Formats: sequence, structure tokens, C-alpha cells
Amino acid sequence: MTTPRRPLARTATRTTRRTTVRTTVRTTATLACVLLATSAALSSCTASRQEPGQAVAAVADAVELADSAVATTNLTVVLLDGGDLVAPVADTAISDQIGELSDASSALTTLVPPDDTSSALRVQGLAALAMAVDAVVSARAWVAHTAGGDLGPDGGVPTDPRDVVDALDEAADQLEAVLTEAGR
Amino acid sequence: MKKLLGVALGILTAIGGFVDIGDLVTNAVVGARFGFSLVWVVAVGVIGICLFAEMSGRVAAVSGRATFEIIRERLGPRAGGANLVASFAINLLTLTAEIGGIALALHLASSVEPRLWMPVAALAVWLVLWRVKFSIMENVVGLMGLLLIGFAVALFLLGPDWSQVAREITQPAVPEGEHPAAYWYYAVALFGAAMTPYEVFFFSSGAVEEKWTAKSLGQNRLNVFTGFPLGGLLSVAIAGCAAVVLLPHGIEVSTLSQIVLPVAQAGGTLLLAVVIVGIVAATFGAALETALSSGYTLAQYLGWSWGKFRRPAQAARFHVTMMIALLLAVAILMTSVDPVAVTEFSVVFSAVALPLTYIPILVVANDPDYMGARVNGRVANTLGSVYLGIVLVAALAAIPLMIATGAGS
Repeated sequence: MTTPRRPLARTATRTTRRTTVRTTVRTTATLACVLLATSAALSSCTASRQEPGQAVAAVADAVELADSAVATTNLTVVLLDGGDLVAPVADTAISDQIGELSDASSALTTLVPPDDTSSALRVQGLAALAMAVDAVVSARAWVAHTAGGDLGPDGGVPTDPRDVVDALDEAADQLEAVLTEAGR
Repeated sequence: MKKLLGVALGILTAIGGFVDIGDLVTNAVVGARFGFSLVWVVAVGVIGICLFAEMSGRVAAVSGRATFEIIRERLGPRAGGANLVASFAINLLTLTAEIGGIALALHLASSVEPRLWMPVAALAVWLVLWRVKFSIMENVVGLMGLLLIGFAVALFLLGPDWSQVAREITQPAVPEGEHPAAYWYYAVALFGAAMTPYEVFFFSSGAVEEKWTAKSLGQNRLNVFTGFPLGGLLSVAIAGCAAVVLLPHGIEVSTLSQIVLPVAQAGGTLLLAVVIVGIVAATFGAALETALSSGYTLAQYLGWSWGKFRRPAQAARFHVTMMIALLLAVAILMTSVDPVAVTEFSVVFSAVALPLTYIPILVVANDPDYMGARVNGRVANTLGSVYLGIVLVAALAAIPLMIATGAGS
């Protein structure tokens, strides 16, 4: 008995084709799922205009970030003043917090508030943030002064740590007032 | 006496080598947000890593072969290849985080920009990989990593209300004001940080490097079951310091400089210096381990000559892989990406990749063809199966939780 070559070859070709088609369909489906998931994940990032509730939450998030930066700076100043911290670590800690304030500022300034309530809250948030930036930048200047730099009162640099802490406390109060307004 | 010293050294290096930048950052973030309420996850993660590290060490000691050689043999080249791609990518992300961690720690000590430290750190890692013997490298860095014990000292000096701490640990709950999804997102991140896959690749390949045999199994168990839990306690101490000092101030941890402030408050500049050296050593050690793991995984999958016990010329492709991985890590960091953010993502993606590493280990540890009489016992298998369930749940939940919570924010 001889084996019919042609039909077998055809079956094999058909099976290969079917497998190829199946693999292509599977790959396409997987790619589609990945694309869909990516679009879903990124859709929130592209929405600059938000719902009122979302905008208030975005303002509150940014203000919370600033509040944390002010609290970190306050702790750093107290520790350096008490001799528990060295100047390079204090400088790094405060410079990191300036970066956090910059992120908070970016979040607030790029927000497009959809209603008057969130817009007013954003204005308050920006004012409180400006105060926080001043206080944290002054604190860093005080650290440089403490480390033996040439900065002094003539350059507007506080020399008394109590002044630095007071400014930070005041900034924290402003930020917390905004958070209270936002319902946090 | 010599044997006793060897055992002690093994345990000490296991403790010192346990904590890396992922553990440091994740535990501090969690402590500052959730207090002690996620300590149970560290405990679950430590039991898991002990279980699977012991298994992978036993497989390497008995079969004389490392994890990835066996993964390819058991899963075949296609499934093994997919596993390699995922593991290599996660490992590269972790290596990037570790190099960033060294740079941040040096930035903390010197105020010099971290981006200037990054190439220096990578160069130092490469020099050690190129020139230093495996045992010296492992022991020196592991012992210096022990300086992180400063976090435990700091927690003790801070003197929290221990009964309150015990209550938070034993009766965990989502703190007021926190969303349950964020709580579970960080639970998955902590679990991923404790069970990072590179630890197993490094551990099993290290067993081959050090020429373990069946006789080394006792020491393997002692190192793992004593060293790793004590290393886990260091993780808890990091979270504890953040919970005691940063949480009441409303400080959200987003930088390495915040993590050391509680140490300064508790122990002043001396303890701070000790901890900073510990952080440099721990991240440096982890960078060595992850760089080696990139070489190990690729070389073991492709059947190249590998290992630090060979001269670089005899394992050229293995060494080139590590060099390329280091260059890629520096290139990623030079894009101004935040190393702390890289770390946070690396632990979450580690959680996603956990089943790829741990399922094959459990399969091989049960295979009498490889293991002979040293196959898993009933207890190891029961625990291993339970952990596979946990690992699968963590892997499936990681990405949805990341999207739902905006990466924990």
C-alpha cells in the first residue's frame, strides 16, 4: 500500500495555515487588549479639564504634598538647630522638599478648574503654596548660614532658627486651612 | 571554631544583605502612611522568601545547577525565554533603582548632585564585579549592610508606646482617611519588596559559585531561617521609625533624605552616620547582586559560561552582560527619572513577576530526577502551595491596584 502523498501534504499545509491564522488572531487580540488597557490607564493623565470633585481633590493632593514638604523642612531645621543633624544632610533634605514644592506648584498651575468652587480653592492653594516656598527657601538659606556661608541678615536670610520655624508654622497653617476648605 | 565562624558569617551577611533600596523606600513610605498596620505583610513576605530561598539553595546544592538553567530545561526554550525576558526586565529595573539608591545615599552625605554620583556608583559596582572574589564581595558588603541595625536602635531610642505598637501589629486595620485600595496596593508592594525574584537567582547561583553540596544544606537552612527573619526585623524597624516620627507630622515619604530624619532625632549625628554608611552598603550590595543576576539569568538560559569563580576571559559574555546592564541602568537614570519612583515601580512589577520565578522552583524541588531523596517534604509542599496562591493573587492584583490608586497616591 502506498501512502497518498499529495492529500497528506495538503492536510499538513492546511493545518499549518490554520495554526498560523490562529496564532495571528491570538497575537492581534493580545495586542488589542494591551492597547486598550494602556489607553484606559493613560486616559486619566491626558484629562487636564476635570469634574468639579476631581479638581478639588487634585488641589487638595497638591496642597498635602506642600504640607508634607513644610513639615519635613520644619523637622530638619529643629534637628539641625539641636545638633542632631549635619548641614549636608539638612541641605539635601530641604533641597529635596523644594523639588516637592515644585511638583505641587506644577500640579496647581496646570489644573483647569471646571467651576468657581475649585477655582477659588486653587487660588487659595497657590497663595498658601507661595508662602510655603518662601518659608522653605528661607530655611535652606538659614542652613547655608549655619554651615558657615556668607549669607546674612543683609541678604534677607534669617539668623534665628525660631524665625525660620515660625515662618514654616505660618505656612503650614495656611496650607491646612486650604485642606480644611477642601474637606480633608 | 572555624566552622562556627563560617556559620555566624553566613547569618550576619544574610541579615545585612536582606534590605535593599526597595525595602528601605517601601517600608518607610508604608510606615509614614499606615503606621504598623502592614507589618503582617513583611512577616508573610519573609516566610515566603525563606521558603523559596531554601528550596532554590537546596536545588542548587543537590543538582549543582542554578535556577535559570533548570527553568529553561523544565519549561522549554519558549516558555523559559518568556520567563527570561520578564525576569531580565524586572531585574534591570531593580538594578536601576539600586544604582539610584547608592547615588541618593551619597548625595545625602555630600550634598553633591545624585546625577554626578550615578556613573561613579555604576563604575564602582563594575570594578568590584570585575576584580573582587565572590566570597569577599558577599561578606564585606553583607557585614557593612548590618549597620542598618541603626534603624532598630533608633526605634528603641524613640521609645514608642509598645502596647499600642503591638495592638497595631496584631489587629491590623486600614487607618482612618486611607482608602482600602491604597492599603492593599502597598501590601502588594511590600510583599514584592520582600520576595524580589533577584534574591532567589542570586542565592541559587551563589550556591553554585561557592560549590555547595548536599553537605552544605544545614548551613543553607541556618542562614536562611535565621538571617532572613532578622533582616525582616530591620525592615520593620525602618517602617517603625517612620511611623513614630513622620506619621504624626503628616510627612509623606518621597525622598531618601526623609527616611533618615527619625534616626537623627533618636540618635543624633553618630547614629545618622552609621545608618548612611549602612544604606550605601545595602544598596551597593544589592546593586552587585542584581548586576550579577542579570548575567546569571541570561548566561544560564543561553548556556554560556558563567560565574565569578571563572576568570572574566573565561566567562566573557557573562561579564559583558553585566556591563551592558549597568550601562543601561545609568542611561535610564540619566533621563532625570526619580530613583525613588523607579524603586516603587520595581517592587510592584516584581510582585507581577513572582509566579514566573517561584512556580518552576516548586516544580523542580519536587522532581526526584533532579533532587533524588532531597525532594520537598510535606510541610514544604503545603506551605509552597499556599504561597503560590498568595503569589498569584499578588501578581494579578498588582497592576489593577496600581491603576486604581494612581500608584498609591
